[in-house]
Amino acid sequence: MKVILHNISKSFGSLKVLSDFSLVMESGRIYGLMSPSGAGKTTLLRLLMGLEALDDGSIEKPGHLRISTVFQEDRLCEAFTPVENVRMVTGKSLTEQQVRSELCRLLPEESLKRPVATLSGGMKRRTAICRAMLAPFDLLLMDEPFTGLDEDTKHTVILYIQEKCAGKITLLTTHQEQDLTALKAIPVHLPVIDSLKV
Amino acid sequence: MNKFFKSIIRFPWRRCFIILFWLLAWQLLAQLIHNHIVLVGPWETLGALRQLIFSKGFWLSIAHSFQKISLGFLSAFLIGILLGSSAYRFPWLQEFLEPVMTLMRSIPVASFVILALIWIGSENLAVFIAFMVVLPMIYVNTLSGLKSTDKKLLEMAFVFRIPLWKKIRFIYLPALLPYLINGCRIALGMSWKSGVAAEVIGLPSSSIGEQLYMSKIYLETADLLAWTFTIVVVSSLSERIFLFLLSQFEKKGTSIHESNPS
Repeated sequence: MKVILHNISKSFGSLKVLSDFSLVMESGRIYGLMSPSGAGKTTLLRLLMGLEALDDGSIEKPGHLRISTVFQEDRLCEAFTPVENVRMVTGKSLTEQQVRSELCRLLPEESLKRPVATLSGGMKRRTAICRAMLAPFDLLLMDEPFTGLDEDTKHTVILYIQEKCAGKITLLTTHQEQDLTALKAIPVHLPVIDSLKV
Repeated sequence: MNKFFKSIIRFPWRRCFIILFWLLAWQLLAQLIHNHIVLVGPWETLGALRQLIFSKGFWLSIAHSFQKISLGFLSAFLIGILLGSSAYRFPWLQEFLEPVMTLMRSIPVASFVILALIWIGSENLAVFIAFMVVLPMIYVNTLSGLKSTDKKLLEMAFVFRIPLWKKIRFIYLPALLPYLINGCRIALGMSWKSGVAAEVIGLPSSSIGEQLYMSKIYLETADLLAWTFTIVVVSSLSERIFLFLLSQFEKKGTSIHESNPS
């Protein structure tokens, strides 16, 4: 399976964010977008998710492509438990017990009964990551997924991600080069457009 | 013993004293006026209430008015949610309904009552008036609640291809319910006030409004105040019961305990 970006461009009003960007992504590979803040990394992910419309260029992808994502913010339903948040996206593909044991790999068991609103920032992040890993997907998009995680937790999460996205296409954004090394990701540099340079 | 003292300390004494103060002020005022047509004291009102409670007509009137006003409220509640949700989904419908809702909110209840008397007669007047008063409140609160839905969560639902019923349960309902509960709190009180006012003008038989009117005609101020007290109690009770049921729904919708979302 391949996802190909052909010379894509995107502007917000007079501000050009992406210009003639091309990329070929193949199954079984992890791609890491590295570029300074404001270079259009999040915009690129939003275009792939279908949350923004392209101004120019095209995205070539299979019609049945299932996308999963870790947003820059956690975007969890705060009144519900981590189990409920994950089951919201997995549907009947996983039983409650399966979801529970998967969550236990990243979160303490006692936290699974609590509403997400009462969890720490790091726990919320891990719930959001677990949700993305357990949803059925072919393309995984992660926007700075390791924000708020300490080094030990990050290591556990990286191993979990590597296990779950085997054979799938993964694209993530990060500011840390060592994250890409740990994930054995292919670095992709998003060129900074002149108008965005500080 | 310690427990006994604690319960005494915890008892809302201050509130009791405030209520007692106003009851005494009322009694004092009634004694000063010394005219049973203008004002009677709480003691006489209580006496009138005691007499009313043992009459068959009292309970019949309450049942009649409760049935009519509740029917008006519940139908407005359901239609208000339906219209509010549809207006959220289709902005053109919101624009289309806006003048009607504004008109319903601003027309005085008395004008509605007179018009309704011409259109439908007095028997179902309270149903109609409660409906007309409650509908715009529920509509506006439904629309505001749905508009307050977190757009980022809706984007998340789009990317994960979450079906509509799950979006309703996990995203829309938690946003909507606080607005709806708040709206119902005001709308329930208003439905009773306007419903009884309509009955006083339309005089449907065996209704609270008719009893209030009769008290006025026969200058039975004690009865009038006893009926007023009854309306306050019944209105407050129905408000508490309805809000309790709605809050149970809220708890269920945003449950902390494990449930089966699939």
